[in-house]
Amino acid sequence: MNILNIQKKLPLIVGLAVLLCALPFLVRFVAGNQYPLLIMCIILIYIIAVSGLDILFGYSGQISLGHAAFFTLGAYTSGLLNIYFNLPLYLTIPAGTILATLIGALLAYPASKLKFHFLSLATVAFGEITYYFLYKSPGGFTRDFKGINVISIGFLGEDYLKWYFFLLAFVVIVLLGKTSLIKSRTGRAFISIRENTHAADGMGINVRKNKIIAFAVSAFLTGLAGALYVHLIKYISPETSMQKQSVLFLTMLLFGGTASIMGTIMGVVCIEVLMEAIRPLQEYQMLFYGVLLLIVIVALPGGIYGGLKNVAQNIRKAALKRLGRNTDNQKKVEKGGEA
Amino acid sequence: MLETNNVTINFGGLIAVNNVSIKVQPHKITALIGPNGAGKTTLFNCISGVYKPTSGEVILDGQHLEGKRGFQINAAGIARTYQVINLFWKMSVLENVLVGMNSRLKASFWDSLLSTKKKREEERRIHERAHELLQFVHLDEYADAPAASLSYGKQRLLEIVRGLASDPKVILLDEPAAGMNTAEKAELDILLNKIIEMGVTILVVEHDMKLIMDVSDYIYVLCNGMLLAEGDPDKIQKNPEVIAAYLGGDE
Amino acid sequence: MFKILLINGLIIGGVYGLIALGYSLIYRASGLMSFAQGDMITLGAYLGLTFYSILRLPFFLSFILTFACAFIVGVLLEKGVIRALLNKSVLPIYIVLATIAISYIIQNATQALFGTTTLRFPQVFSTATLTISGITAQTEAFACLVISLALMFLLHLFMTKTKFGTAMRSAAMDPLAAESCGINTSMSTGITWALAAAIASIAGMLLGPMYGVYTTLGSVVGRKGFAGAVVGGYGNMYGAMVGGIILGLVETFVAGYWTGTYKNLIAYAILILFLFVKPTGIFNEKAIQDV
Repeated sequence: MNILNIQKKLPLIVGLAVLLCALPFLVRFVAGNQYPLLIMCIILIYIIAVSGLDILFGYSGQISLGHAAFFTLGAYTSGLLNIYFNLPLYLTIPAGTILATLIGALLAYPASKLKFHFLSLATVAFGEITYYFLYKSPGGFTRDFKGINVISIGFLGEDYLKWYFFLLAFVVIVLLGKTSLIKSRTGRAFISIRENTHAADGMGINVRKNKIIAFAVSAFLTGLAGALYVHLIKYISPETSMQKQSVLFLTMLLFGGTASIMGTIMGVVCIEVLMEAIRPLQEYQMLFYGVLLLIVIVALPGGIYGGLKNVAQNIRKAALKRLGRNTDNQKKVEKGGEA
Repeated sequence: MLETNNVTINFGGLIAVNNVSIKVQPHKITALIGPNGAGKTTLFNCISGVYKPTSGEVILDGQHLEGKRGFQINAAGIARTYQVINLFWKMSVLENVLVGMNSRLKASFWDSLLSTKKKREEERRIHERAHELLQFVHLDEYADAPAASLSYGKQRLLEIVRGLASDPKVILLDEPAAGMNTAEKAELDILLNKIIEMGVTILVVEHDMKLIMDVSDYIYVLCNGMLLAEGDPDKIQKNPEVIAAYLGGDE
Repeated sequence: MFKILLINGLIIGGVYGLIALGYSLIYRASGLMSFAQGDMITLGAYLGLTFYSILRLPFFLSFILTFACAFIVGVLLEKGVIRALLNKSVLPIYIVLATIAISYIIQNATQALFGTTTLRFPQVFSTATLTISGITAQTEAFACLVISLALMFLLHLFMTKTKFGTAMRSAAMDPLAAESCGINTSMSTGITWALAAAIASIAGMLLGPMYGVYTTLGSVVGRKGFAGAVVGGYGNMYGAMVGGIILGLVETFVAGYWTGTYKNLIAYAILILFLFVKPTGIFNEKAIQDV
């Protein structure tokens, strides 16, 4: 059955692969410079980061308003190892990712006991503590408010085309891993906790353990994104760990639609492109986040992906009705779906 | 096999269950009845780990369960359903059953993440088993529908199979007939006997006296948190104290 | 040194206590937390500034007007956003996120109106400093302490002695039962949010002369108020007051005797410590824990 599925989807997969490979060349040709390529690279990095947040919020139902701290922890660890010890990319990136994961798991251990509003505040506090620590570190080893400038080493240099394919590989692996995890007992455990924590406990799900796993996986992905980011941009400052960045991730996730791969991708692409478009109005960036968040919460609870899915479903329903192929079974299912 | 010894549950001075000892015999249907507020659900919640008993013991096949957490008790072999239906609403009917199997699964986190052969084989096996279980209660045609889309009676059935999915020794059914129509109740009667045939023991709380008197092998009557009477259905029906409690109670 | 720190700690602690009170009131009424609560402080500071400094109204009148305006904003927030979302049966977590959105909107709106620079709140009293039992401080600072303590006392009277306060408390405890006793729970929740906003606006007006007025004033101080509420026991009115004052004292003493570098960190560290170790707070309020 699995193989059949793949065969059916094969043309789609090949088409998508060709498109993703051709896209950067096309964009560079049209734009005539590297800048749009850089934006595409950032989009890929944010897809990894927001996928992490989706595991936590979308699937396991835990809120984090301090996720930027994991991003920054990955970035700083990776960056500091680079400037102090001149370590190469393939060592600094894993190191940054692992530290973020460890801290995520450590934070989740007590935090998994908290109800959501308090979890949100605990994560805000975690983000702020990270910020102050980086801003004014003991002995100034994080270069404090100045941030750090990473020296470019390794095989990627500043060729954003190479970076694009490097990051694309990461995104593909991350999304495959995420899909595999979600379609497993672990993924089902996450969702059951989100849906009904008490029933999950009664059905043999170790709620705290799974909440901690979700947190660690989430911190892993967001930390990885940060570690990649610092080598791409070659600069990171404490500001990145502030609530603003965390809310950016959340806005992307909610705007696209939680608990799906496509939602994450759509959310990141739309918001990042929008942010680029309103760059002249950067002062009011937060206003855009605020308004977008409010619109999504009030009018589009499933995000744009959820909205599109609904539209597609309605069209199919209407078409089926017209064809008179509305079986009894289908009716029942649809009726319930609306309730 | 499952027994409670002198269980007392005290909520800040209010004694909800007072010194109750019951014994559930293997492969039998044991019922717990009593007027509203008698402490039946509280006792259930205590056995299944929602509450910790203030004093007393809960023992399953010699294993002490009092004070353990819900998931540990499920793993020990006690499944349950809820008085107020507690399904995972947005998950499909099939996924609800799959979640119920969780405590029996072997795939580790890394198996899940990397989709190892072990995970794929286990997934195939449990999907088959879940479909079997759904067929058992005639819900297989709804396998891919969200749990919330089922009718009330079918939701009750789904809760029961979700409980059975963990291959329990004992299943606790909290008012399984509530909200069911007459036809569904008749089916439930048959289903309970089929569950016993599967080798699963039943402890049931129920208000429908006809159903209880039909199916149960042994009955405990709770009143105001205390054990009022016990015995087989005939004996209970003739017990003047029980009759008085029901007439004088709020039902 | 000790005396000065003590009085300074009490002054700032009193303000934290007021803010904490707002969080606890909202939690009691709706079981929610509002990230916009901090921005009510900012709003209060700007409103106070507008009435007192721009329109040159007497201080007392500005005070009343600020209170009234924030009260209305609170009602609008509850009726226009929170209740609307609750009626759509949105998950509570999304309502909390909506308050974040509102918080950003308020911050940007004030920025658009008043600019990004910190504005000076003109002196209220003719004498700049006051000396009481050997401690010299800004007159405003003393006034701040007096006003915040008085407000706490008034609120206590309002909640326990008036018919309306009792109705509000019962509506928060058991909405269904209160409804059947003829209490309009929808109105009482609205008024609770309004009171929370109004108290925060007063806190903003008190902070203005000491810190200056800027758009993120409230979000920083607001979180300290939240920390105070957690320390005291989230949802407990008296816990909020005590927790706020304790937080103010700890912050001031640590900054005074040890280091001022991490002054803003202390509140967060205490918040995390209480959330993880003693989530029920000093008054043992059981609101926070999940499974």
